[in-house]
Amino acid sequence: MSNMLLEAKELHTYYGASHILHGIDFNIRQGEGIALMGRNGMGKSTLIKSMLGIVRPKHGRILVRGDDFTKAPTYRTAQRGIAYVPEGRGIFPNLSVRENLQMSARCGIDGQRNWTFDRVMETFPRLGERINNGGWQLSGGEQQMLTIGRALMTNPDLLILDEATEGLAPLIAMEIWRIVKEIRKTGIATVIVDKNHGAVTSICDRAMILVKGEVVFSGSSDEVRANPELIQKHLGV
Amino acid sequence: MNKSLDIIHDEHRALAAMLGGMNALVAGIEAGRLKPDFDLLADMIRYIDEVPEVVHHPKEDQYLFAKLRLRSADALPYIEQLEVEHVQGEARIALLRSALEAYRKAGEAGFAGFKMALATFLEQEWRHMNTEENHIFPLARKHLTDEDWAEIDAAFLANGNPWEGPAGEYAALFSKIVNTAPAPVGLGN
Repeated sequence: MSNMLLEAKELHTYYGASHILHGIDFNIRQGEGIALMGRNGMGKSTLIKSMLGIVRPKHGRILVRGDDFTKAPTYRTAQRGIAYVPEGRGIFPNLSVRENLQMSARCGIDGQRNWTFDRVMETFPRLGERINNGGWQLSGGEQQMLTIGRALMTNPDLLILDEATEGLAPLIAMEIWRIVKEIRKTGIATVIVDKNHGAVTSICDRAMILVKGEVVFSGSSDEVRANPELIQKHLGV
Repeated sequence: MNKSLDIIHDEHRALAAMLGGMNALVAGIEAGRLKPDFDLLADMIRYIDEVPEVVHHPKEDQYLFAKLRLRSADALPYIEQLEVEHVQGEARIALLRSALEAYRKAGEAGFAGFKMALATFLEQEWRHMNTEENHIFPLARKHLTDEDWAEIDAAFLANGNPWEGPAGEYAALFSKIVNTAPAPVGLGN
């Protein structure tokens, strides 16, 4: 039995007349971690949104656990054990921290309930201190933790983090990366979209770099870290 | 390959985040946005004291610098400078700690002294890390052999995850600081 969780084959995505993704192939298996990197506007988030059905690719195929999901609605992808932490977080501001978490609680695709409310509280003790606060009352870092906690409450096999530390102070970003590292150790496959190559390649085993909607590098994170020229050329500012 | 450089780089990121956080807190105090939290500042100083002294500098000195010294004459002046700075580290952090204690005792009147001590410390730390990242790392990549790297990487990896501390104490200290430091520097109130 294949342990492939999510695949994209020859994806072409457009925003109006703008051709954003140019025939991208992508795949992730159970337990893997992939760092998806590139400068702003290179197509990282569009690739994620295309695979999740938030944006419709014009050409290409998307497979979830081997089944064709090219035209599937996003909620069906989520039901197959794929959790998404979007850029901008997307918490429910009028719900409390507790409600934000409880509304997403469900068992995983194999019935697993590894991530309970209590475990999320243990992982993010700060959320415990804010449990009755409304989402709108949280700081950016707290909102990010809530979004990750909410995704974990779905007991996913694959967690996709899109710019999880964007706009956060370095101390908070480091703490989030530390927690993501701990989550990775539990065996959840992870796709991390981020510009901080140092952080994401230390968490993920594989790395992919996009430039203008095309894959210019796909290999191990070790290869990226050992190649400062590659980093400078495609990720340097 | 070069796992050891990855580990050093990761530790630099953690230290840089902590130093940047201290700088931001002091700027907030100076601007009147924040009240000084002396225990928090003491915890931050403890972090930037213990993590480098206990887990970071010894690895650099004993393994990376020791091998590079044998392979590259160009690296020698940098290594000698960095080793001196490692030795001086304890004295530099002691100055910062005593400046904080003076600030705690004197109140507002002690702020300028602490601010100056921190600025001096930060400048020294940035320069130190930049020397390692911009001079030592490239020379190490260029001159160390595969056998050297195998030996250095093995020694670094034998430490497990040193950044977290032998019993996770540094990770716990880091989390405590992040949870206490006021937003937007940390998650505290």
